[in-house]
Amino acid sequence: MVTPLLKAHHLVKRFGSRTAVEGVSFTLQRGESVGLLGPNGAGKSTTIGLLAGLLVPDEGEVQLEGSPIAGETDPRKRKLGLVPQELALYEELTARRNLEFFGSLQGLIGAKLHRAINEALQLVGLADRAGDLVKQFSGGMKRRLNLSVALLHDPELLLLDEPTVGVDPQSRNAIFDNIEQLRQRGKTILYTTHYMEEVERLCDRVIIVDHGRIVADDTLVGLKRRLAGTGRLTLDLSAAPEESTLQAFRNRSGITGVEVRETRVTMTVEDLTVGLAAVLEEVNRSGLRVRALESGQASLEDVFLDLTGRSLRDG
Amino acid sequence: MNQLLALFRLDLRLFFQDRRSLVLLFLVPIGIASFMGTLTSNLGKPSDRGGIGLIVVDQDRSDLSAGLVSALGKDANFQVLETNETVARQWVLSGRRPVALVVPEGFGANALFGLFNTNRKPVITVLFDPSRSMERQMVEGLLVPKVFQALAENALTVESLRSLVREGVARIEATPPDPSWDQTTVRKLMDQTDTWLAEQTNSRPFQREGSTSAAEGEIGLPLPYTTRVEALVKGEAAYNAYAHSFAGMGVQFVLMAMIDLAVGLLRDRESGVFRRLRSLPLSRTTLLAGKAVAWAAIALISLVGCFAFAMLVFGVRVQGSWVGFVGVLLATSFLASTLGLALAAVGRTPAGTRGFAIGFILLMVMVGGAWFPSFVFPKWLQTVSLAVPTRWAMDGLNAMTWRGLGWEAALPSMGVLLAFSALFAAITWKWFKWEA
Repeated sequence: MVTPLLKAHHLVKRFGSRTAVEGVSFTLQRGESVGLLGPNGAGKSTTIGLLAGLLVPDEGEVQLEGSPIAGETDPRKRKLGLVPQELALYEELTARRNLEFFGSLQGLIGAKLHRAINEALQLVGLADRAGDLVKQFSGGMKRRLNLSVALLHDPELLLLDEPTVGVDPQSRNAIFDNIEQLRQRGKTILYTTHYMEEVERLCDRVIIVDHGRIVADDTLVGLKRRLAGTGRLTLDLSAAPEESTLQAFRNRSGITGVEVRETRVTMTVEDLTVGLAAVLEEVNRSGLRVRALESGQASLEDVFLDLTGRSLRDG
Repeated sequence: MNQLLALFRLDLRLFFQDRRSLVLLFLVPIGIASFMGTLTSNLGKPSDRGGIGLIVVDQDRSDLSAGLVSALGKDANFQVLETNETVARQWVLSGRRPVALVVPEGFGANALFGLFNTNRKPVITVLFDPSRSMERQMVEGLLVPKVFQALAENALTVESLRSLVREGVARIEATPPDPSWDQTTVRKLMDQTDTWLAEQTNSRPFQREGSTSAAEGEIGLPLPYTTRVEALVKGEAAYNAYAHSFAGMGVQFVLMAMIDLAVGLLRDRESGVFRRLRSLPLSRTTLLAGKAVAWAAIALISLVGCFAFAMLVFGVRVQGSWVGFVGVLLATSFLASTLGLALAAVGRTPAGTRGFAIGFILLMVMVGGAWFPSFVFPKWLQTVSLAVPTRWAMDGLNAMTWRGLGWEAALPSMGVLLAFSALFAAITWKWFKWEA
């Protein structure tokens, strides 16, 4: 049996009376690209913190290549490259100076450091801005530089904690391109996000977390297969439905999930034909009118809704 | 109007939400104002400062000199220590006492005659610390009534006055005949005076009943002594007031600079840089040690720059040991850097830490004597100042610059500064947190 590159074994982390991570276990094989998907506050960043050694678990352990990380100075930590959610950069320094500093802390010196900096800047498309102060960069450029810092020492495993937060679509696409290049180079990637489209684009496998627990760990295909044959109905009603109407939807057999945003109600149904009839019957009973109706097959968003009863963006 | 009110409410709400800053807003000015008020109200009252630390060397051992020492000792303006001249010189040179009076041999025999004969005025030597000339002037001023008091109590006896008269008679007899004045009449007057004195039974004929001292202002006489003033510095050293002021301001602003560095460190923690650093094979010890050394280097550069300017422009010189001077600068730099780290360790937020640190450092530099020399403090505060590291930094720098002392004089300051550095480092080690 192949030893996984990283193994999280029954991780538990509490902050006071709040349990942020509760019994999280999974493995990462070399070359895998895995998405850690969940709404805000689900425990994704805490899990990343535990894996990177930023936090000490209250229970469980993290193993790197089959053995636990031995303290904060374990040289095997160089196999990890963390891209924190925050812009962990010195804004008063140039991009190159930032990379020199973090590269030096990774043990790189001289020509090796110089080469690593140039390669990292090249990859994220910032080679021509290397001498500029970071504070002069746009948000998207800072995100890309944030990513490049984690690449300097050529780590085997990249831990990306919501690396596209707050960036424009163009920069997001640039970051996706960078990560896809890293996948092609055989890097192992753990990518946290609450955007399902990011996971669908970048990951082979998805771990869905909610309230600090893993609710699913499967390939994209496997997850969608769970909802195979299920459909999604979205109705735009003449007014926001009352709670009694929503409860009536939930009580109908064949309706597995209900989510409402003002006048827009999204439901997952086991069978579109049966489900549609039941839904329209309840709408009619409530006295509301349907202004628009959409139907389709379930997505990863629906999978999450099905598993947790709430939307990824509920936070 | 609603918009104005909304903006008004927002700022007040945000301001009052930060309880720590709020408390500091009131505490810091109250603390500083109280301190300044205490100092300035005591500037003219040495007695409130526990008295001027005055050394008296009685080389005469006469009744008069003993009376003078006693009179000085009873005055609340002085805290008198009697010792020999060698010790007196050492203590004034090292700054332990600001002024010493050396009462010469023959003082008792000559002081009374000095009232009338300038050739016989005894010379009292005033040894003083040149950085404390204000106290020297006070001592000289207060010495006058004490000498007269001693004279009245110990020297104005029938016998002493008769000998004074007899000496006058002898001088008349020794003077060749001079038609410009009636020598015979004066001689007769003095004989009658001598006779009258001989009839007195009271040994102190001019002392009023109930009086214990010669009242100031009633003495319409010339001084019975002269003074020789000697500023004590080692070798060729000379006092330069800029040396003290540059040391004080240098130390203060180095400590102030550490506030910014501490706040920067807390911002790094908030910004996520710490998360990245912790993911590296980097220990907390390495991080803190790196910061301590870097910040000490910044402090050292600042202090060196400050003194270089003082040397080039104001003629400040290291008149003592260069080794000791560098040692004190290094110890002060490490004190500053570890203090900065300790502030970052105990601080929760950058804003809260800034407020707290400003108050703390201002207090340290004030009590440490960077603004005012510590000798103007009330006595209790002078004692407290010994527990403040800035006091030792100031003493060490003064000792190596204008006092002109040897490297061994820097050791106490260096020792205390490094001990405080170790304390601050321990606080940092204990309280510093990677996570906010």
